[in-house]
Amino acid sequence: MSLEHVDLVAFHLTGERSGGQLQDVSELDLRPALFSGYGDLSRLRYDYPLVLVAAMEGEELLRPLSGIIDDLLAQIAAPGSDGEFDRKQLLNLEHEIRAALADGEGGTLSEAWRRAAEALRAEADEAAEEQLADLLERAKAALPVDGELIDCDGEAPGKVLRHAWQADQKTRAGALRRRLDQLILKLHGILQADYLKSADAKTADNLKGSVGTSYEATFDFEALSRLLPQGAAEDALPETRRQRVQWALDTLRTQRFVTGGQQSGDEAPYDFVFDGCAGALAAFRERLPGLVDLIKALAIAELEIDNRYKESRHDAYFARFNENTLVAADLEPFPSYLVLLRGLDRDPGWQAEIIQAMSTGLPIKVLAQADDILRQDDDTPGQFSFGAKGLQIANMALGLNRAYVLQAGASNLCRFRDKLQQGLAYPGPALFSVFSGAAGNAAGAAPYLAAASAMESRAFPAFTYDPSAGNDWASRFCIADNPQAESEWPEHDFHYEDAELQRIEERLTFTFVDFVACDRRFADHLAGLPSNDIQNGLLPVGEYLRRTPEDRAENVPYLLMVDRDDRLRKVVVDETLIGAARRCGEVWHALQELGGIHNSHADRLLAAERDRWQEEKERELAELRDQAPAGPAVSPAPATATEAPAATPAAEDSAEAAAEVEAAPPSDDAYIETPRCTTCNECTELNNRLFAYDENEQAYIADPDAGSFKELVEAAEVCQVSIIHPGKPRNPDEPNLDDLLKRAELFN
Amino acid sequence: MSTPATERLLKSNDENFTIDDFKSNMPRWCTGCGNNAILTALQRLCRDEKLPREKTVFVSGIGCSSRFPHYMNTYGFHGLHGRALPIAEGIKMARPDLHVFVNTGDGDCCSIGTAHWIHAIRYNMNMTVLMHDNHLYGLTKKQASPTSPQGLQSNTTPRGTFLEPLNPLSVTLGITNASFVAQAVDWNPESLFEIISRAYRHKGFSFVRILQRCPEYVPTMFDHWMNHPDKTLLLTHENGMQVSPSLAATYKNQETHDPLNLDRAREIASMTEQVPVGILFHDPEATRYDDIRDPDRPISPETIRSALDSEFDKFTVWPEQ
Repeated sequence: MSLEHVDLVAFHLTGERSGGQLQDVSELDLRPALFSGYGDLSRLRYDYPLVLVAAMEGEELLRPLSGIIDDLLAQIAAPGSDGEFDRKQLLNLEHEIRAALADGEGGTLSEAWRRAAEALRAEADEAAEEQLADLLERAKAALPVDGELIDCDGEAPGKVLRHAWQADQKTRAGALRRRLDQLILKLHGILQADYLKSADAKTADNLKGSVGTSYEATFDFEALSRLLPQGAAEDALPETRRQRVQWALDTLRTQRFVTGGQQSGDEAPYDFVFDGCAGALAAFRERLPGLVDLIKALAIAELEIDNRYKESRHDAYFARFNENTLVAADLEPFPSYLVLLRGLDRDPGWQAEIIQAMSTGLPIKVLAQADDILRQDDDTPGQFSFGAKGLQIANMALGLNRAYVLQAGASNLCRFRDKLQQGLAYPGPALFSVFSGAAGNAAGAAPYLAAASAMESRAFPAFTYDPSAGNDWASRFCIADNPQAESEWPEHDFHYEDAELQRIEERLTFTFVDFVACDRRFADHLAGLPSNDIQNGLLPVGEYLRRTPEDRAENVPYLLMVDRDDRLRKVVVDETLIGAARRCGEVWHALQELGGIHNSHADRLLAAERDRWQEEKERELAELRDQAPAGPAVSPAPATATEAPAATPAAEDSAEAAAEVEAAPPSDDAYIETPRCTTCNECTELNNRLFAYDENEQAYIADPDAGSFKELVEAAEVCQVSIIHPGKPRNPDEPNLDDLLKRAELFN
Repeated sequence: MSTPATERLLKSNDENFTIDDFKSNMPRWCTGCGNNAILTALQRLCRDEKLPREKTVFVSGIGCSSRFPHYMNTYGFHGLHGRALPIAEGIKMARPDLHVFVNTGDGDCCSIGTAHWIHAIRYNMNMTVLMHDNHLYGLTKKQASPTSPQGLQSNTTPRGTFLEPLNPLSVTLGITNASFVAQAVDWNPESLFEIISRAYRHKGFSFVRILQRCPEYVPTMFDHWMNHPDKTLLLTHENGMQVSPSLAATYKNQETHDPLNLDRAREIASMTEQVPVGILFHDPEATRYDDIRDPDRPISPETIRSALDSEFDKFTVWPEQ
């Protein structure tokens, strides 16, 4: 063992840089090797900037700018070299917009578009000016959507969730508003009809008012009033019904849960956005009596309008109707409560509040945004809990079983738009745990890159848990949106040039260590090697983590990083960080198991079944060998070929049923194939005591003694679908039996 | 649409019907008439689907089959010849909450009512249309209809009809936006009921052609099909008609036909040697006119009055002017 390696092992085990050769990485401005292609994000095309599409029915809520530009190019740019100018200029425009947004300019897509177009035109050659103006005009006209343009920063998760929530509310509130308006109109109609029948409506003054001023001199309203029949008392609505309808009408008109319509209440509509779970819960409880009344009024209105309100049954039900009568489905038409929380990593007290909100089953939608998932608690020194902060809340919520849970990096929110919408539409609580990457701790990496690398490194894996998707974990839980979800760590090809300018290709694993290595706060856990040529006793981190302690012996894990000049550097990693990566891997593996990947129960079951199958086949083979006469050895046939295809259950059922049908024994009694009867009345008109209809209006023999064999034979002859079977005569003394029996033969 | 609380109450307060609840006047159809089987199937449907009688309406034109509304204890509209469909469309527009059924004959639908039929298919409004096809005009005592087979002698065609009959299935399947096309035969009550039930459950214009016996004027017209079950092709599918083992034992000639396969549906519709029974085509996603024209907001009497006033004002000569 060389001295140099002793230094490496010493650093790995103790974190001490002895020997003076290992370098402090905080001075080297390093980033993971796989980041080398992601310097200036404004030069790249990716999911951000995002357009929060101003709601139009059928449009996607979130669209990446790059996707919009791609669609535009497909629409307006000619294929091949003819469209080269258009493609180049529109991609320049996209770059301008992206760069301006990164510099802090905000606003809508159309505003950003206008500014970028002006900038492009200002830079354009004179020769191309006209062509460019024409292109920009066509492209602007073809721009399919508009909306606020956002970059991936600390504000992005809140903006995205609020935008999606508003769209959900719009749909929900729109439907409820329409329902309320319909019910109000119809309830009003009931009261109006009652009024018009009353004596009050037929007074001379009222009649005069209904004719208008132009012709009022033409009529004698007093005489008209006397002539019109006065409604009888029994025609009027019963007082209890009138009061009930009036109460429902007033309640629907004064509700504060949705806006619009002809509100008659004085109080402003409720707000449903909160900055804390406690506030949302308190508001829900405060509004509960009003909500109960509104649900009750809706139900009464619907029953009254359909004339299905039965006082004998429903009075008692509605008298007992209270908050305990409500079920989750009752709340579905109403707005959900949105809670936007940021900085969860800094205030652990919120965790308890969130879990309490999630456990209520109420439609509270919470954004729990973490900006820094590597932050260590100051009050718990000695604990090294990398990543635990961000993960805890979503994992805890999973245990409740009844909350929709989504966890994702802010980088991937656009790809999760459908799942965001599902969570918002879910009739119960939903937790959206999002890592923004906006704490600024990742060495020079933009929030987008920090959030994406948190997902890539399994530090903040993405998953969804949708309790409405089914009854088992396989239906509810999904981790498929993670990069290379089947693997323990994702792997990528990496190309670089060595000192001799030769192209080298390597397969690099991106692990939790890469994610932490971006963060200067943890620079002590890394040490730069003086030379990349050191090979002996070193293992790449991915390989090191895969090996058992025995297999890695005294090797030291290293990471490939690049400095600000894109020079490759080898960096060794201490055991503390490796331990944290291992724990992160274990958490990821647990999620994989829940998601059905490398599930240990399934693997064990499969192994046991495989063993059992193998034993069985070997036994069969041995039996065949024993039975085979001396001669060439019997070669084992493939298992699948020896097994006859099993009958499907459905086929078995069908075969059994068909056998049953065919096995129906012949009988001497007259009978009718009732299910085939076409209700044509031929037999019942012949003798309606002998033949009668069942509850489906199909004929059967009601009383075989109520008619003669002759009638049975005649009925069989006139039956157009030939389903009457006369059987044998019950009365041996009936006349002409020989002839009748002969005629009956055709039908028996 | 009802709120969940109302749904719970209505479920707990469910009314149960019998076929008798939907019976009205004694049918005047001839004994042995296939219309009886169709009537029974629809009464069973109303009973099994628990359709409130005050929310159900049968609309018809003119003809034997169009006497149907008289025999249902629901609302009904016995309309003008060929005009059942526009009346039904008006009802559906004004009262989308009603269950609308249309009974029309081959003369009513495929002759004088053809224009309405074609456009009703395209409009695809939510209603169930039963086309009773006995291949002739029966109420007026035997005249040839558009679906009469070539050579049928009748009061208007004493030397037999000259043309091949019109095929209502092919026509319907050729119209843009057709969404549900099926064929049933009145002498097979199980499949008739199954097809009508599926037609009722389809949200859109369900067109069911029912081959219907007329024992009075063409008593042997369908004997070829009735007496030879192997000449009936049952169309089955997990998304289409499903048949009981006993029916499958009698009708062994079956084809698994995906009702979304329009090309195959058109081939099946053109069959002449076999009579296809089942659902030929079913597209639950087709656009519905009543759906897209459903106003966002209920229209109040005040709104209607104000709209009418503003229209009338354009033509009013004010007395003082």
